[in-house]
Amino acid sequence: MKKPLQINPLKLSQPMGALLAFLGVKNCMPLMHGAQGCASFTKVFFTRHFNDPIAIQTTAVNDITAIIDGGDYSISEAIKNITKKVKPDLVGLFTTGLTETKGDDIKGATLLVKDKQKIVYVNTPDFEGGLESGWSLSVQAMISQLIVPQVTINPNKLLLLPNVNLTPIEVEKIKESIELFGFEVIALPDISESLDGHLGEKQGSMSAGGVEVSTIELLGDSGIVISIGESMKKCGEKFKEIQPLSQHFHLSSVSGLIDTDNFYKILMGYKNIKTPPPSIIRWRKRLQDALLDTHFLIGSSNIVIADEADKSYALSKALKEAGAKISSVIVPTRSAINAFIESEKVLIGDMEDLENALEDCEVIISNFHAHRIAQKHHKALILRGFPNYEQVGNNMNNDVLYEGSCYLLFELANLIRESREKH
Amino acid sequence: MVNRKLIKELLSESACSHNKTKKVSCDKPKPGATSGGCAFEGAQIALFPYADAVHLVHSPAICLGASWETRATLTSFKGENNTVLGYCTDITTNDVIFGGDKKLEESLDYIITNKNPNAIFVYETCVTAMIGDDMDNVCGRVEQKHGIPIVVVHSPGFVGNKNLGSRLGGEAVLGHLIGTKEPKEVHPFGINLIGEYNATGDMWQYIPILEKIGIKVVSTLAGDGRIENIQMAHRAKLNVIVCAKSLITLCRKMQEQYEIPYISISFYGKRDTTNAIMSIVNAFGDEELIKKAKIVIAQEEAKLEDALRDYKKVLNGKKAILNTGGNKSWSIASALQDIGVEVVATSIAKATLEDIEIAKSYVPILIKSPANEQSKLIDEHGVDILLAGGRSLYTAIKKKIAFVDVNQEKKVSYGAYSGLINLAKDVVDALNNPVFKVVGTKAPWEIA
Ligand code: SF4
Repeated sequence: MKKPLQINPLKLSQPMGALLAFLGVKNCMPLMHGAQGCASFTKVFFTRHFNDPIAIQTTAVNDITAIIDGGDYSISEAIKNITKKVKPDLVGLFTTGLTETKGDDIKGATLLVKDKQKIVYVNTPDFEGGLESGWSLSVQAMISQLIVPQVTINPNKLLLLPNVNLTPIEVEKIKESIELFGFEVIALPDISESLDGHLGEKQGSMSAGGVEVSTIELLGDSGIVISIGESMKKCGEKFKEIQPLSQHFHLSSVSGLIDTDNFYKILMGYKNIKTPPPSIIRWRKRLQDALLDTHFLIGSSNIVIADEADKSYALSKALKEAGAKISSVIVPTRSAINAFIESEKVLIGDMEDLENALEDCEVIISNFHAHRIAQKHHKALILRGFPNYEQVGNNMNNDVLYEGSCYLLFELANLIRESREKH
Repeated sequence: MVNRKLIKELLSESACSHNKTKKVSCDKPKPGATSGGCAFEGAQIALFPYADAVHLVHSPAICLGASWETRATLTSFKGENNTVLGYCTDITTNDVIFGGDKKLEESLDYIITNKNPNAIFVYETCVTAMIGDDMDNVCGRVEQKHGIPIVVVHSPGFVGNKNLGSRLGGEAVLGHLIGTKEPKEVHPFGINLIGEYNATGDMWQYIPILEKIGIKVVSTLAGDGRIENIQMAHRAKLNVIVCAKSLITLCRKMQEQYEIPYISISFYGKRDTTNAIMSIVNAFGDEELIKKAKIVIAQEEAKLEDALRDYKKVLNGKKAILNTGGNKSWSIASALQDIGVEVVATSIAKATLEDIEIAKSYVPILIKSPANEQSKLIDEHGVDILLAGGRSLYTAIKKKIAFVDVNQEKKVSYGAYSGLINLAKDVVDALNNPVFKVVGTKAPWEIA
């Protein structure tokens, strides 16, 4: 009997991805168009994950507006009530399954209030896609609704399009590395300044930092665009439509030696330089050494991963370089990258499927929900992905570029050694 | 189908004192100015603690994806613990167009065949209500086919808030489970615990005390609950509502149908725990029982004071401000007073009128707008510690006073007598921790 339902879901909904994307814009008020519960669950989820207050509001659709309102009323009411208290630079309006089932016209509703408040709208029903697509659709909406087209380009201006799985510190590290090449880098969205867990004076009701709206609007002259992760490819293409003179480079991952090499190859090629800054050269040598130091433990291990598609791809590719055997990968949703994930078995499934794939496996890489599973079956666990309720400081987990790849390899190798001593 | 008549009735509950002035739970949520969970979440909180039942959420990704395995409701159930598992029909575009009935039926069949639970709760959510799935029909059919109770809870989020959802959950249990099984024997001092969810094992702090006195917990809704027990709940002699007013309608109806009286109590703090135990035994009116209770209470209180002695040396004379929501605005205040802390003020910004009334009897100053008043009160009264949600952390840092995040998911119980020791330890730890002052230090490049 084929399983008709989900048992212990891995999948997170599109609106949740949309929220995170809008939290990467400074002074933004994310506004979820749906009944109040969706926003509440989502807020609690990310508050626990990031250990910081999360900004979000809801249009609070109720039993009456669910039937007689096409979205106009609850959206304009919401804008009215929000702007009574705060002055957001942007409202990020995104839908849920309820309001999509009703068939609300959010574009029309947005037009009605556009004189009062700058809004980006995006359709993100939770009965389609997942976290990655919700984030990506929101970025696409910001690109097409905010960026003002320009006729010329600035070849030194680089637009970075990170996928939802990259942690705040990872986004920051990638930005810094690009800056070493003399670029002006703008990440869209930029959660490295909002969800990085910094103590701010205002524990505000809006996003705590991120890329400024005015900066997004002026992105039109970016000469180069780099999208990271399959889910972000479309965003790069969307920008290319606005600015055909720009060059778009797409990378599926920036973890591990080979994929990081590719990343720097692009930057060096574009800048037409032969050697990168010295710190990069040094980190590459450290990674080479790390691969050799860890290959014995990692090369004898068997790993199962359950995470978003782009993250699963990046992890499995990087760990495979040190010889890891990755027996199964479970992803929550369909993605073109799934076919390229380096594993004996890749399936779209849930955490029960993970539990059923543990035979011979030594280490699980997955989210908080794998904690109970790992304990039950005496497996070692590396926590990655959403949610991570257990570990503080997860927003500083770094698996990218030469440096982060070293940390990842060491973390895994040390864990394998510890768990072998225990069992 | 959502039952509008029932919802109306639940929203204007006669036994609820706040109803006389204002129908709090009846207010429609304001777009752009709403926080708090939906009816589905309320139903989930109320019923998920039944560990021997599968809880199937008929919805797309959002309702369950972010909410399973998030509650610290503990169970002693020896079988597969369903409180930490998430079952979802995962409605997709195709189901939205063609209906989700078939998927629901297949899911139920699959669960029964593969998991063999004692019952299944099926939760209706916004999208499945919108597409008009006939869940009662499907579930009724599957129930007949397999002979296990399948309880439909009509709790789409758009009908209202958590409070209403808990009520809807209670109604579903009353209509479908209570009274469907007879016990072998009826205990003379049998009680039902209503609205106790055993978060962090709260009820395990006081049940042994009740048992020592001679009181038996027949069933619970739903902390550490079992389906079989709630089916026999109609043979209890008393309904005990713990801290949560939301299930008062259920208790009133049980009084009408089964002549079971009810009382409402709280097990936070020493005084309240003692009052709670006395209220229960007084409700039975049995001399022996009352005598026994007094002896046990005296023992427990003495034991507690012993354990608190060292903590109280630190805590006596310390001043606190409490900023949290709902019944915690007074129950935690009362507990703090019992460990020797002076509670200068408590916030009522997120409390019902009922809670405000009770809070008045514990705390002299009620804060209406914490953002504006908190800082001032800290200065005026020389407050030592702020107990609040994460948003207020910066206030504590700026004022260089200690902070406890009362809204954070706790790992230990603050309930009954023994929970007070945990609370005392946490507060003392916070007071002794230099971290708030260190973090509040100005950076070398900031002008003093
Ligand atoms: S508001 Fe509706 S869709 Fe949202 S979580 Fe609650 S039941 Fe689900």
